[in-house]
Amino acid sequence: MMIWEKGDKWMNSLPKVNELGFFEIRLESIGGLGANLAGKMLAEAGVVGAGFNGVSFSSYGSEKKGSPVKAHIRFCDINANIRDTTPVERPHVVGVFHEALAKTINVISGLYEDSIVLVNSNKSPDQLKENFNMLGGTIAVIDATGISLEEKNRVNMAMLGGLFRLCDFLDPQIMRDVIEKSLGKKYPQAVAPAIRTFDRGYNEVQFKTFELSEGEEMPAFTRSDEPVLGYETQPMGGVITNPGNSILKDLSISRAGMLPHFDENTCIHCASCDNVCPDFCFVWDEQQDKKGRPQMFLQGIDYQYCKGCLKCVTACPTEALSSHREEEGYAEEHRVPHVFNLAK
Amino acid sequence: MAIEMNNEKTTDKVEQRVVYESGNEMAAYAAHQINYHIMGYFPISPSTEVAQFLDLMKTSGQHDIVLIPADGEHGSAGVCYGASSAGGRVFNATSANGYLYMLEQMPVQSGTRFPMVLNLVCRSVSGPLDIHGDHSDLYYALNTGWPILMCRDPQAVYDMNIIALKLAEDPEVRLPVMVAQDGYFTSHQKRRVMTMKDRSDVLNFVGEKAPEGYPDTLDRNHPITVGPYMNEPDYINNCYQQSEAMYRAEGVYERIQKEYAELTGREYPVLDLYRMEDAEVAVFLMNSSSEIVKDVVDQLREKGIKAGSIAPNIIRPFPQKQIVEALKNVKAITVGDRADSYGAHGGNMVNEIKAALFTYGNTTTKVISRIYGLGGKDFYAEDGHHFFQLAIEAVEKDKVEVPFDYHGHTPGDPDKAPKRVLEPMKYEDLNTGLIKVTEDEEAGKLKVRIPPLRQLTKKPKRIASGHGACPGCGIFSGLELFFKGIEGDIVALFHTGCAMVVTTGYPYSAHKATYIHNLFQNGAATLSGVVEMFWERKRRGELDHLGLQDDFTFVMITGDGGMDIGMGPAIGAALRNHKMIILEYDNEGYMNTGAQLSYSTPLGHRTSTSNVGKHQGGKLFHHKDTAQIMAATNIPYVFTGSEAYPQDLVKKAAKAQWYAQNEGLVYGKILITCPLNWLSEEQEGATIIDAAVGSCFFPLYEIERGITTITFDPEAKNKRIPLSDWLKTMGKTKHMTKPEYESAYKSFEDEVDRRWQKLKAKHENPYL
Repeated sequence: MMIWEKGDKWMNSLPKVNELGFFEIRLESIGGLGANLAGKMLAEAGVVGAGFNGVSFSSYGSEKKGSPVKAHIRFCDINANIRDTTPVERPHVVGVFHEALAKTINVISGLYEDSIVLVNSNKSPDQLKENFNMLGGTIAVIDATGISLEEKNRVNMAMLGGLFRLCDFLDPQIMRDVIEKSLGKKYPQAVAPAIRTFDRGYNEVQFKTFELSEGEEMPAFTRSDEPVLGYETQPMGGVITNPGNSILKDLSISRAGMLPHFDENTCIHCASCDNVCPDFCFVWDEQQDKKGRPQMFLQGIDYQYCKGCLKCVTACPTEALSSHREEEGYAEEHRVPHVFNLAK
Repeated sequence: MAIEMNNEKTTDKVEQRVVYESGNEMAAYAAHQINYHIMGYFPISPSTEVAQFLDLMKTSGQHDIVLIPADGEHGSAGVCYGASSAGGRVFNATSANGYLYMLEQMPVQSGTRFPMVLNLVCRSVSGPLDIHGDHSDLYYALNTGWPILMCRDPQAVYDMNIIALKLAEDPEVRLPVMVAQDGYFTSHQKRRVMTMKDRSDVLNFVGEKAPEGYPDTLDRNHPITVGPYMNEPDYINNCYQQSEAMYRAEGVYERIQKEYAELTGREYPVLDLYRMEDAEVAVFLMNSSSEIVKDVVDQLREKGIKAGSIAPNIIRPFPQKQIVEALKNVKAITVGDRADSYGAHGGNMVNEIKAALFTYGNTTTKVISRIYGLGGKDFYAEDGHHFFQLAIEAVEKDKVEVPFDYHGHTPGDPDKAPKRVLEPMKYEDLNTGLIKVTEDEEAGKLKVRIPPLRQLTKKPKRIASGHGACPGCGIFSGLELFFKGIEGDIVALFHTGCAMVVTTGYPYSAHKATYIHNLFQNGAATLSGVVEMFWERKRRGELDHLGLQDDFTFVMITGDGGMDIGMGPAIGAALRNHKMIILEYDNEGYMNTGAQLSYSTPLGHRTSTSNVGKHQGGKLFHHKDTAQIMAATNIPYVFTGSEAYPQDLVKKAAKAQWYAQNEGLVYGKILITCPLNWLSEEQEGATIIDAAVGSCFFPLYEIERGITTITFDPEAKNKRIPLSDWLKTMGKTKHMTKPEYESAYKSFEDEVDRRWQKLKAKHENPYL
């Protein structure tokens, strides 16, 4: 529990607002990286610490750890009415906690041309602009994952540092006080690394602004509640008539940084990995053993479904499976795809 | 919870403080200030947080409410009914199907006139299952005889919870009261909320104690009979009394809300009218969307359109007269219902509004009905503009062209209609012939031969990759390992829970074999229906054309939560001995709804409703021994298993299949890890389960035709480890190895050992 005490307020006004008077922030992440908590802390810093009015919430559904999640924050003048409960569709600031999300989600949906996108990445703003297909706006980059590994702290602390830098109407000291107060009593040794991680996030952000080209317009947002199917195409009663279609999904975005490597030479094909894998990533093939009898041989890992839990590495009795930090492109290059019996 | 901000100077009579919290937090906050005697509850999204916040506050000694985790909502409502009959103050919170499951209790609570307060955190009712906010559960409440207060935002949740209790206990009313807020939109969005700073001010308002002089089942000097059997000449009179009390509730509510306004400066008149003084077109909505539409009213007013909005703060009793009064000069109104009353040509609200206008002779105001926002579909300002546009058009054309319709439904693109992705699995691939089960008639047992597990990788997985479980989830490795032992075709039924939710997020399904999900508690009954239909249609020759090569193996999958709420149907199915398997994956809690305690959660373990703090050290009672309960139904086969002992589990699966095809019902339990809520390392899943087995917390055994066999005895193998070695591997139990929790640890250890010794005795004696 955090209790703010009366104190000096960092009074400032919001740099820009929409037609209803809101400054709006959207965080894009996967469950488990702490975006929800970061959003909560950011909102509380604005409302409790800086004296704005505000509202904050996260997307809720069947999403679990590793699934895409969003957090939404609105700030406005203390006397403004807050009536809107809809998700932030036109953000002034977007925080992308997990760069790989852009593979499957339009993380920059609804940007204004002067919006800022903070990305957890070690790429350059130019590269990110291209990856995100962003026409205009500012890209801010922070290697939050790198910082958190170095500081042995959480990604969200570094991202929060970056977000405070972007929201210059918020006093970063508020956040340092919150960290101090929330951790100080129970885990005093955790305070310094958390503050260091936050400060590095705050200080190490790199910005680059991209002007919208002449004659171009920022793409309009599409409502986040538009379904693929409809009442004319949806089978009666909610029955799913094409089950097993989950194989079409790409779950590689669920990996938070680690993945297993497979070394065929040391594999004894014991199936210990297959017995513990929650995502059925191991690809087997029937071949002839040395004596010419049919036998199952492990071919490799279908990284499209691997969430990087590394249970297989623990289960492997040899050195055939090992855990590694995920390097860009490794999974695509080493993926052994499942062979499905696809419908004709 | 409850972040104190500052004490603001207001014109009110009590000192207030501002907090920044969500609707659920405010319901809990008000309840803790009132300091109710009893809360009977059961987890369901999105209302569960209310119990969680109260539990968390209890760990720091902030209130004395006795929180009773029931076995389902029917149970929680029963706990509340009994408690309210016993003279104290009673509180509950639920949503959607949870409310429907307790529905039977609601008219009894009101009809026998025991006040209590129930928070309904509104959510859509299945099916199919959707956890987001609409009013389909709320509309079931309309006929239960409870006054219903509506909350448009977290502030109203706080205020109405205090008003509700006073209303319920008023001598003129004496009815249970419902407080309704919108799931997620209100329950999970944080806002600035003004609260009474001192609990004493809250208690001064509602009364220090529940009023005396009413039926009280604990008053031995005034014995009473509660709930008689009543015949036809009398029942109608009881109903009339109740009806009268309900109508009186409107006036009482008005009085109480005025008193509350004097105290706090916040008013909740029967109707929340926004710019209605001279409105010509209006929109009627309830709760969170009624706020959004106020922005739309402002925008239309700027354009010179005389727009206004109406939202009720109370819908039972229905404020008929006030609505007619508000619509006196309105030319057209669009009424948005966030739930349908299928076939009624409008939702409940629009039809009640029409009835009100008719009753008071208003024949000129045009009424347009729209069903919107179902299943939590967002209501944007543009939707509000559309609703006003409908009213404006009706005025212009002097006619309502489409009196009733849905809004926000979409036809879908024919090119994107679902197409089969995978061919059905081949029977010959599923029936590998690698597993041999034979009956040893002399021993009365089955003999199983399984190949090296490597060979079983040939068998297709019955669940497809691409499901959305958390990384390292123990459910799916556990289930598929079990399925490795099952030959041929299965029909699977999943109870509500993580395994169900993450495999069937529409329009995707990870089930390659036929799969059914019905409800949280009713799986065993449902699958018995499927099983018996199979045998009967087979007998009648109606399945001949399918050319089935073998009988199906019917498998029900449930979590430990499903075996709490579904215990009755499971025992029923077991006693009837249907040919089916019930496989429970036990992760020691309601993980799908946010890690609340289940009866399978062991003593002392931390969950979101058994928090650890100064005044409470995790769960207060021992874990349920579901395998032994099921064994007591004398079904042919009961087993426990785990992925840490794969051959053992595959063999048991093979036996389970044989018994389920030849003799009757099988129950099996596998212990699986939930790294997210056990606060454990994802990669250590199998190791942690191994420790649970090694510590004798989770012995591996089977009961075949009544005879118990321990299939892995850690003691005999000199591999038994102390319980603490297992507990140390999980964040949820780390505290238990500390000196201050020594007595809890000891109690847990004693219980584990007692059950282990008992099991050993059974193993040694076929008659036990």
